[in-house]
Amino acid sequence: MIRIQNLHKNFGDLEVLKGIDLHIAAGEVVVIIGPSGSGKSTLLRCINRLEEITSGTVIVDGHDLYARETNLNLIRTEAGMVFQQFNLFPHMTALRNVILGPIKVRRTPRKEAERQGLELLEKVGLKDKAHVHPDQLSGGQKQRVAIARALALKPKVMLFDEPTSALDPELVGEVLEVMRQVVREGMTMVVVTHEMAFAREAADRVIFMDDGVIAEENTPDEFFSNPRNPRTAEFLGKVRSRP
Amino acid sequence: MGFDFKYSVIWESVPVLLTGVKLTILITFFGLLIGFFLGTVFGLGKTSRNRVIYGLASAYVESIRGTPLMVQVMFLYFGLPMVLGMRVPPFAAGISAIAINSGAYIAEIVRGAVQSIDRGQVEAGRSIGLTHVQCLLYIIWPQAFKRMIPPLGNQFIISLKDTSLLVVIGVGELTRTGQEIIAVNFRAFEVWLTVALMYLALTLTLSRVLNFTERRLEIKT
Repeated sequence: MIRIQNLHKNFGDLEVLKGIDLHIAAGEVVVIIGPSGSGKSTLLRCINRLEEITSGTVIVDGHDLYARETNLNLIRTEAGMVFQQFNLFPHMTALRNVILGPIKVRRTPRKEAERQGLELLEKVGLKDKAHVHPDQLSGGQKQRVAIARALALKPKVMLFDEPTSALDPELVGEVLEVMRQVVREGMTMVVVTHEMAFAREAADRVIFMDDGVIAEENTPDEFFSNPRNPRTAEFLGKVRSRP
Repeated sequence: MGFDFKYSVIWESVPVLLTGVKLTILITFFGLLIGFFLGTVFGLGKTSRNRVIYGLASAYVESIRGTPLMVQVMFLYFGLPMVLGMRVPPFAAGISAIAINSGAYIAEIVRGAVQSIDRGQVEAGRSIGLTHVQCLLYIIWPQAFKRMIPPLGNQFIISLKDTSLLVVIGVGELTRTGQEIIAVNFRAFEVWLTVALMYLALTLTLSRVLNFTERRLEIKT
């Protein structure tokens, strides 16, 4: 589903991705963890070309994302993105946020889009908030709407960029619960997160990124109980000892 | 001293002045309408990453902001016809001057508002497959427009008052009408006072309309 080969990315003189190779199969749930500045968010953003790359290839569902002839707008609908800061459209209701893509990009008739939009909002537990603007929603509710918005285009992959990092602790659970639901439906997912519990229970594979490279990847069981790379062990130690 | 304030002068001059008010309103309205269009085009141009587009937009804004409106008006009306070989009617020249002048300031307002919208908004739009133009239309513009209203209101009021400079090309707007009345009756105090009050009435009405619009948008979104 996703095939990344020898991906390099520089911001000026700073090399943030130093040759990433990563294959993700359809239906697989991959969690990327690592210290800040390790390049994990940048890697994720390269999977729907929110970043330009320096060299390498990124292939999503058979389409070379960085090839000149690729219709980027169409490919982007195949990869739904959930942002740390939600990025809901503040001047639209929750429902309108969800149906904008289907109506404008997929050309779904409004009635049909609204029906599906309400269904999605129901799925994330927010059908009663359909006609409310984002400023009247809590952080957790905003992020659930954002997930519904991304799902509305029926993407083949869902990308989560630290989806719970901007949330108050008591709101993290409701967002993770929605994400687990998406996992259960068999969605291919790439999740950058600091939620180790989520990684342990939901991931098929955990990737540890450090200083622009994939330092270690393994099944969650092996990864957490038996880390091979000393940097992984050090990072896990720090995370566990968090108050 | 013995200045003798004559109310009758005011009553007599009001009907004539109102014809000037009418022209002032017309010039302001069409000038700003075109000015808003120019401002939008060049303001968006200034947000462009294309160097040529950015350069053209900047050149327009800087050259207009950097020269006096009075000079622009006279250049348009007296200067250009020498090259074009035809005279522009004063009314059209007046509207053009207000349009071109306000357009430069409005361009800066548009640029500022558009660039104040969080980058994440475009990223979210792009991530659901919207094109650049769709992002601008459905996501950036509605949010930016709301932020533009207070500075736009300011510019509208400035442009309305700027129409008084069109006396130099003989457009029969409010100030010119006042001048003409005084040329006949020499009652400068009463007439200029009346003219000033009429401008004040116009600008106050304009602020009211803009405040109302702002509140309407607040409720709607």
